[in-house]
Amino acid sequence: MSAADRNLPAAARTSPDARRAQRLPVMRRGIAPGRGAGRPSGLEEASGAEAEAARRERTQVFLARVATGIGILVLWQVCAAALAPGYIARPLGVLGQVPTVFGDQSFWSAAGSTVLAVVEGLIIAIVFGTVIGLVMGRVRDVDRALRLYVDSFYAMPLVALVPLLTVWFGYTPLARLAVVVIEALLPVIFSVAEGGRSLSAEFTDVARAYRAPWWRIWAGIVLPASLPYLLGGIDLAIGRALVGAVVAEFIASLNGLGYYILFNVRSFQEDRAMLAMVLLVAFALAVRVPFSMFVRRELPWYRAG
Amino acid sequence: MTQQAGSPLIHVDQVSKRYGDRTVMSGVNFDVGPHEIVSVVGPSGCGKTTLLRCVAGLTAPSGGAVSIAGHVVTEPPEGVGVVFQHFGLFPWKTVFGNVAYGLTVRGISRREAEPRVRELIGMVGLEGFEHSYPHQLSGGMQQRAGLARALAIEPRVLLMDEPFASLDAQTRDLLQLEMLRILDQRPAATIFVTHSIDEAVLMGDRIVILTGHPGVVHDIVEVGIPRPRGREAVDSERFRVVRDYLWTVVMKGQGRQRADDGSNSLVNTHREGTAE
Repeated sequence: MSAADRNLPAAARTSPDARRAQRLPVMRRGIAPGRGAGRPSGLEEASGAEAEAARRERTQVFLARVATGIGILVLWQVCAAALAPGYIARPLGVLGQVPTVFGDQSFWSAAGSTVLAVVEGLIIAIVFGTVIGLVMGRVRDVDRALRLYVDSFYAMPLVALVPLLTVWFGYTPLARLAVVVIEALLPVIFSVAEGGRSLSAEFTDVARAYRAPWWRIWAGIVLPASLPYLLGGIDLAIGRALVGAVVAEFIASLNGLGYYILFNVRSFQEDRAMLAMVLLVAFALAVRVPFSMFVRRELPWYRAG
Repeated sequence: MTQQAGSPLIHVDQVSKRYGDRTVMSGVNFDVGPHEIVSVVGPSGCGKTTLLRCVAGLTAPSGGAVSIAGHVVTEPPEGVGVVFQHFGLFPWKTVFGNVAYGLTVRGISRREAEPRVRELIGMVGLEGFEHSYPHQLSGGMQQRAGLARALAIEPRVLLMDEPFASLDAQTRDLLQLEMLRILDQRPAATIFVTHSIDEAVLMGDRIVILTGHPGVVHDIVEVGIPRPRGREAVDSERFRVVRDYLWTVVMKGQGRQRADDGSNSLVNTHREGTAE
């Protein structure tokens, strides 16, 4: 092969086409090029049947879920009707209250108040949590200084702090915001710091070997590498933020879904309270489901690697 | 025979490295010519990777110095491409993004870099995979991308740290020959660190043998097989002689005595690394 190379005229030896022609057979697995591709080529006929089977399975799962849901509701209705006093919530009762509650302006203002507090608090927590987490993860001294406190606060039930916070901030929405921020901040710091610590030395070696300046290392390597950890932290933070908001409303009697629930339960209007809970769940799902879909779609490399 | 245009490009001068009480390597001396491939081979723990990191500017030597084109290496210098054992591709970047990395950090825009990056992706056999992510590629393909990334900066110096060690045997054989072919077309002063004696002989014009704890240069061997080399080089008499010598030295630690006896007269050895 080397003799043949030498006999080629100089131009042919160096042109891209000649290089390609001289190239040894490339050993590639049957991975189709392009983003997100993973199906082996040459199984075209099978793919139609596969898709059909997948669709059927998805329908079955959906039906099973719906059937289970209906089953639970029926069981609940029957048991409540037969065994419980009248003020205990039951599905039909909840449905009956829908026009009253959803038509009530103060309900929607309460819902808006809670949702806004959670969103504001999350944004603040994510921004500050990421910065603190990154510094902790990458600067050893900071990590050593702060780790004990982060771990302790993360472990304790923060709801115990709420009465204290209501004294500091008064019975105001600011107290609720403070609770939300603290609840959401810790999982974000914790996760991002973990991500920073786990950064493979090989990545920074590559960056340094190719002479990347320090800001490129932070923005281009530390940040993307920590992204999966950050997203995991955000997922946790969403749940904790909701809990924090509701508990703060309980204790500080703030206008919001949490307080609405408390008020109606104490007024023996459990069906109405139940509707507020449904809305809370819907809000949580509405944030978390698109979030995990986003993660699955935009970070295929993390899932796989 | 290798063409060497003038004085050596890489000069490793009495380099040693200590971590606290533990000396990893000491008194390492050798040169690499501008178009030469020098294999560095030796058992585990003798400091091969540490040596490469010192040349790359990733680690500072405890004693001695490395100079490239007359300038002492204190931080990663320009024009040095590094290929890593575990590929070192960024999982969040596509093949294109990874290969272009050395250019991107210099501020070269994607559009400017595109023709060169595409050419290199083609050269290493990854056409069609520009927009794939590393997790979609096999190990061999990932290392090809790693190679392309190193070549994209048009390096004068190429440093390879056991680049094929993480690959299966067949891919390894293929990539060795492709690497030789690429280096024939685009020569650079190359240091090729490996565990494998066969690979060291196949790839290198000269071989630096490191042995011992701490690692020292036991010997520097002239391979003496002409370029371009193909698969048939492995069957040549010269290959066998060099390989057997290396085996004796590295595996059994008896090479020094045999060479002094003159009983292995076909092997030319150079002590203390003067370039030919």
